[in-house]
Amino acid sequence: MTTMTSLAWRDEDVRGFGMAVGGPGSVLRPTTREQIAEAFADVRARGGSLALRGAGCSYGDAATSTNGHVLDLTRMNRILAFDPATGLATVEPGVTVRDLWRRSIGAGFWPKVVSGTMEVSMGGAAAMNIHGKNNFALGSFGECVRSFDLLTPRGELVHCSRESDPALFHAAISGFGMLGCFTRLELETKRVHSGRLRVWGIVAKDLEHNLQILEDLRGKADYLVSWVDLHAKGAALGRGLMHRADQLKPGEDPEGLRFLDPALQDVPPNLFGVVPKGWLWPGMWCAVHGKQVHLVNWLKFRAGSREERHSPYLQTHGAFHFLLDYVPRWHWMTRPGGLIQFQPFVPFQHGARVLRTLIERCHAAGHVPYLGVLKRHRPDPFLMTHAVDGYSLAMDFAVSSNKKRREYLWRLCQELADVVLDASGRFYYAKDAVLLQSSFARVHGDAAVARFRELKQQWDPDRLLQSDLSRRLGV
Amino acid sequence: MVSRSGSCIVVGASSGIGLAVARRLAIEGRKVAMLARRESELRAMVATTNDALGREAAFAYVHDATDADSVEALFARIEQDLGRVDELHFVAGVMPAVAIDEFDLDKDRMMVLVNMLGCIAWGNAAARRFLERRSGCIVGVSSVAQDRGRVGRPVYNASKAGMDTYLEALRNRLWRHGVRVTTIRPGPTATPMTADLGLKNAMPVDRAAALILRARDREKAIAYVPGKWRLVMFVIRNIPSFVFRKLSV
Repeated sequence: MTTMTSLAWRDEDVRGFGMAVGGPGSVLRPTTREQIAEAFADVRARGGSLALRGAGCSYGDAATSTNGHVLDLTRMNRILAFDPATGLATVEPGVTVRDLWRRSIGAGFWPKVVSGTMEVSMGGAAAMNIHGKNNFALGSFGECVRSFDLLTPRGELVHCSRESDPALFHAAISGFGMLGCFTRLELETKRVHSGRLRVWGIVAKDLEHNLQILEDLRGKADYLVSWVDLHAKGAALGRGLMHRADQLKPGEDPEGLRFLDPALQDVPPNLFGVVPKGWLWPGMWCAVHGKQVHLVNWLKFRAGSREERHSPYLQTHGAFHFLLDYVPRWHWMTRPGGLIQFQPFVPFQHGARVLRTLIERCHAAGHVPYLGVLKRHRPDPFLMTHAVDGYSLAMDFAVSSNKKRREYLWRLCQELADVVLDASGRFYYAKDAVLLQSSFARVHGDAAVARFRELKQQWDPDRLLQSDLSRRLGV
Repeated sequence: MVSRSGSCIVVGASSGIGLAVARRLAIEGRKVAMLARRESELRAMVATTNDALGREAAFAYVHDATDADSVEALFARIEQDLGRVDELHFVAGVMPAVAIDEFDLDKDRMMVLVNMLGCIAWGNAAARRFLERRSGCIVGVSSVAQDRGRVGRPVYNASKAGMDTYLEALRNRLWRHGVRVTTIRPGPTATPMTADLGLKNAMPVDRAAALILRARDREKAIAYVPGKWRLVMFVIRNIPSFVFRKLSV
């Protein structure tokens, strides 16, 4: 690719977090709103298209544009304001979950919705409308956004809130970067009365038990997430370890006041205080490539009983939420093929049947995910939402570098997607890498897709904003 | 170890080490007067502390450490509000960015006023009362930076050295009368003041606070926090001047 203007576009290999999709792109890292507008004008002048990218934590192709332009917003990472009395934060799009909680925790505030890693950017979190382990209780990320500034592809800066323009507000959030670039977001955080949470480990003996625990605790717990041993078969199919966490009330944990020090919230960098966790991934690589993942899952399940006996226990917010940060570069264990995450969202009434079918089909196909994570969700008002009144099961598949095996995995996931879509299920674009164009309307319904296309026409008539995902789905 | 039950004053309590010390004192069950210049930040931290403890343990007093003349009246007001004070922690400190060839009197004056004169004003006000009562303790947070004059921050070094020497003199005056004066010399600590320095392995403020209160309990005269800095600074202090002036430390 050749550079035609003074903008410092750099040719790079731009991939999703899972490393399995993406390709070469011309990348620019702006530091100001004006530079974003300049980049829009530059790409428009070339007749090209441009994808918006935050921290690059989407597993699939939501933030990649093979042979296109990519605007990487990680350098727009200033917290513009934080009110320690109300917890209201005003941030640039490249501010990460880590940046936000490090600023807020000292004043006794924690982001309302956080992902399993703290590397996620606020702009990306809003564009993908991410959820956390409390989706069933507090909803999705968009529900804690009070307002935002959106720079549209035509260079217009729109200040938008729920009240000022409900249509744009509910479509830009969840709209996977198709309507404009967030340049400023006003976010609510929530009061915490301790730097720690009370956590329970609960062994679930099978899938039905797992789902029953979610239903029993839904109105009581603040956070619920279950690790699922997807290798278990027969009566044990869908067994796992549920984690419940509750916030502590004022005065319940005086010692927890000390843990409002951000340094005590970070995930420890060493295993047993000695082994740098950054070097654990080669061991995990051996487990994945040596076909020993079922053993790791079995051991983890066995360890769950011990955890249950020692429950409840107190754990910092950081240690509870950011499991994916425990082992830096863990996804390298799937090299060279990378990984994809297949995360279907299934309505409550079909939950047990559909999830059981998905797991059984994986077994029958000989492609069992090395990791499964089960969560409870609730619907939200965003146009391109993934949330349903039901469950999601995130399934991590290692991708083979062999082309045939890779295609076989894609076909399997598309078959699984059909099962989910037949049950009025949905998918999540921060994760998806396999859905077909024909599935887009089935995920959201014809009316929502038509409305989204109208808004795309209104705000981006020249189709400047495109990603590999949007081209795959035919947006 | 003397058990203390009176109220405490922490100057510079809205962030960093001061906040962590104030919170640990509040957890110990003490009434803590938290003093700082930034009102909204201070009130929020006081509210958070009381909220977490489920009782009113912390009290906000807006105070600019450069305003030495107001200290006497404020000390009296705090004692009126919270009862007898028997513990003072002076943790306020400023360290503006200074270029290697910069000689800016405004920045220098600010450092002397906060780091040194602020400590003297609060130290005097506490010393007068504690001497009369023949009890109490004064903890001043100096720095390892006070041990030598360095190219990077001449007046920060000088202001901390002035504070350190003042605390030593105060200790020599008061110790024989049952009043303890402890000088804390922290190494690199993860505070808002040092956030832009990119410090590696900086000590968490809660750890610093724990070590400071341990030094108080053990009635230490001078405590390096953590202790390894005593050895490091012994070496640095003993580098001959003709060598030190050639170094960029």
